[in-house]
Amino acid sequence: MDLQQGSIKDLWKAIYNTGDLHHCFNCSTCLSGCPASHGDPPLLVRNLARMVILGLEEELLNSDTPWACVSCSKCEEMCPMDVKPFEMILAIRQWQSANDETRVPPSIVEIYKRGYTQAVGVNTDLRDSLGLPELKTITKNPEQLKLFQEMLMKTPVVSANDYMFGG
Amino acid sequence: MELCLFLGCNTPAIRPDVERAIRATMPVLGIDLVDSDNYVCCPAFGAFPSTDIDSWLATSGWNLSIAEEKGCDFVVQCGSCYSSLRMGREHIMHHADQRARVNELLEPTGRTVTGKSKVRHVSEVLYKEIGPETIAAQVKKSLKGLHGVVQYPCHTLFPSEVVGFEESARAPKGMRHLVEALGATVDSYSRELQCCGGAGGFMKSTPEQAIEFAQSKFDAILAETKADFIAVSCITCLMHMENVQNTLNKRVGEERYKIPVFDYNQLLALCLGFDPKQVASITNVSRDAVLSRIV
Repeated sequence: MDLQQGSIKDLWKAIYNTGDLHHCFNCSTCLSGCPASHGDPPLLVRNLARMVILGLEEELLNSDTPWACVSCSKCEEMCPMDVKPFEMILAIRQWQSANDETRVPPSIVEIYKRGYTQAVGVNTDLRDSLGLPELKTITKNPEQLKLFQEMLMKTPVVSANDYMFGG
Repeated sequence: MELCLFLGCNTPAIRPDVERAIRATMPVLGIDLVDSDNYVCCPAFGAFPSTDIDSWLATSGWNLSIAEEKGCDFVVQCGSCYSSLRMGREHIMHHADQRARVNELLEPTGRTVTGKSKVRHVSEVLYKEIGPETIAAQVKKSLKGLHGVVQYPCHTLFPSEVVGFEESARAPKGMRHLVEALGATVDSYSRELQCCGGAGGFMKSTPEQAIEFAQSKFDAILAETKADFIAVSCITCLMHMENVQNTLNKRVGEERYKIPVFDYNQLLALCLGFDPKQVASITNVSRDAVLSRIV
């Protein structure tokens, strides 16, 4: 691998602007106990850290593995150099989403439209049978839902991809 | 004590019997629950936290403002909701610039956020606020004679400085003491602290490997323990550890994996005498073998 070719100096500042990242010495503690490190391809957190530090833009943009993370944050706990690997994973996803609209997770459209990733509060018969009260969800409150949507419309991901949220 | 109940998405939509168990048990133990009207997705880590800080923290701030307005802390069962809300609160409290931006976004909605309401996991409230002794004194029925294993929700352990409440995240004790308070024997096993693997994109992106990963945990439970049940305290652990047993049985061609899984509040509700049809009826892995032995 030619590390100079295709590498962008200071890309790390655009992705994960923290000095702690540079303390990573590839020890692999972040892989120990990581469920997604068992995947195929495996999520190799230390490799991602190296790619960010070296500025390997294309490889990073094309990497699906940050999305396999289960968010258990064991790497965050165990990293001896305080890289905060889980925050780095989220930062890589954010950078990918900002630079490639196909990375924008469809779940945010669900949340925008009804407040939740699931259809909360519509299973009224089941809830009744369990003795549960009706939920005062935002889905059933047009005024609050509108305020929530207007707030989100001012955020980068929604304003940049507003066509996804219409209708 | 009054706490604001944050239900998340999966519990009320897919497993409302767990919601029923929480609503039934907590008031018995002195915790009055207040509903979080007009709450939204926590937000899930795979949603706004994966797109940008503004939409992530504005959504956290929307939710946190509900508890702040009620003047109480949140109580949460879902591990992801718990961790997302705590991390969101951490950002809002400790970064003045982010707090200012979130309040700027919230302002037209009539909401504000300071971070004054804490986010607490239901197992922490049970373990630290109420305590195993108080629980043991309240139970009317017992799990005596039953063996269980416990599944610690990763999101309540790591990173311990943000989400933790155990003395050591590497040797947690809460779930064990809580289950023992109901009379059961808790067996240890080598993969006790292995994540269930059910959250995030692991199962979606590489299901073969995710199922094998879960199998290693279940094989250890079967080989090393006498577990009659698994106690969890996270909706993802509950759903995944049930679903994956059915998937594994299809793979191995026999009913090898059939350990009933319960949310802790469901076991607690059963021991407090609540009707199993209301508090523990929705499942993919039969619970009859355990239910018939709770006396």
